[in-house]
Amino acid sequence: MNEKILVVDDEESLRLSMKFKLKAAGFDVDVAEDGEVALEKLKNESYDVVLLDINMPRMSGIEALGLIRQRHPQTEAIMLTGFADFSTAIECLKTGARDYLVKPIDTTELVTRLRSLLRSRSSEKALHEVQQHYTAVFLHDMLEPLKKVQQVLDQAAGSTDTKERNKLLSDARTATGTMTRKIQDLLDASKASQENPEELAARIRTIRGNGV
Amino acid sequence: MSAQPPKTIQYVYHFRYNDGREKKFTVELDEQTLAVIRPDQADQPELPEWTRLKFSQCENCPLSDEVSHCPVAVNLARVVNAFRADVSYETSDITVETPQRTYVKNTTLQKGLSSIIGVYMVTSDCPILDKLRPMSRFHLPFATPVETFFRSISSYLTAQFLLMRQQKEPDWSLKKLIEIYKAINIVNRGMSQRLVKASQKDANVNALVILHSFGDGIGYFIESGLDEIEPMFAVYLNESNGEIRPSPSGLDAGEKPHAPAEDGRPESAST
Repeated sequence: MNEKILVVDDEESLRLSMKFKLKAAGFDVDVAEDGEVALEKLKNESYDVVLLDINMPRMSGIEALGLIRQRHPQTEAIMLTGFADFSTAIECLKTGARDYLVKPIDTTELVTRLRSLLRSRSSEKALHEVQQHYTAVFLHDMLEPLKKVQQVLDQAAGSTDTKERNKLLSDARTATGTMTRKIQDLLDASKASQENPEELAARIRTIRGNGV
Repeated sequence: MSAQPPKTIQYVYHFRYNDGREKKFTVELDEQTLAVIRPDQADQPELPEWTRLKFSQCENCPLSDEVSHCPVAVNLARVVNAFRADVSYETSDITVETPQRTYVKNTTLQKGLSSIIGVYMVTSDCPILDKLRPMSRFHLPFATPVETFFRSISSYLTAQFLLMRQQKEPDWSLKKLIEIYKAINIVNRGMSQRLVKASQKDANVNALVILHSFGDGIGYFIESGLDEIEPMFAVYLNESNGEIRPSPSGLDAGEKPHAPAEDGRPESAST
């Protein structure tokens, strides 16, 4: 299925030319003439990216951006302006825009930026899913050995035989050492595979396979 | 005996703001050459820095270094200065008087400005924009994108017919028209840099962005948009061996009529 783009601009000719260009590039495109109409459309339809003009009547693009990010956090936003200024660009990025383009916009550049945004968005989504899944699994993996360590330590505390107690403490130390290495491996894997969910999943599987 | 002054065409633009302010501009063209008639040098205010040819000169500018000022920028200087502090979406009552009729519309400044800036640009003697100059004779203020595409294609095809009549090679495929607009959009991009420099707010720049969007959209319109207006030409398309056989409703048999959309185009239109 094609990615869905919502173009929000108060000027008809710009909406139309964007629609032409983006459809030709393979996107599904819808248009809205201002922020209020865009918010109404977003209530009924899910969009991957909103292209949002900054200077619009009634509701400014930045105001609309704030509401879109608040109500539809899964929808990314790229801001468009004919009159670039640094402070507005910063404000847009702070409010949650992913990019900021100055009109007149070069078609190739727009399509490249959109594709790059959609690629990184899909990687982030997959990464988030992998992290969520494996966090739960890994916590479970850690809980059982921790319980065992606790049992061994309880046994050691109750033992009057020094030799037996030393053996139990040594077992507990070995087990916690293994757990510490695994947690460290997991942290390293997470850092090294920040943008690659498949690699992260593979490394976590390897770490888990080593046994605690 | 002194030479007769050239016959002229005038387009008078009158902007009436909601707060009572008014701005008026008269675009005067030579009826034969369609070149803009500039006031005498003595009446011209000093040209701003952004009109110099070397200031953000367009990548494809063919003018030699001997030319001191960009002709497009010079044509635009007065209008751009008048609207430098205006916001693009502010509305006003805009009246455009042409020799044949008067157009009145309450619309955004960017829309009105894009019309007058468009005429000034194509009549400036810029070698790139010159290709659109014939359209200035059939100026249509506040035109929709589809109207502009249609006028542009019609003007280009007229030129091709005239070429054919002169036993030259016409381009019926419209390929060169797309190339013309690609070159024009490089000019629009260069000009937008000048207008940013000349303005405090976005009305001027956004007016130019509207013109750029026409150039940007025409290739796509030729590729896919024309399909949508094709049914309007059924009377020609159904013609065979000189015999015209329009279908009863003007549509092909079995085709359902489209409900009109808000802007009068067929609802199925992707435009």
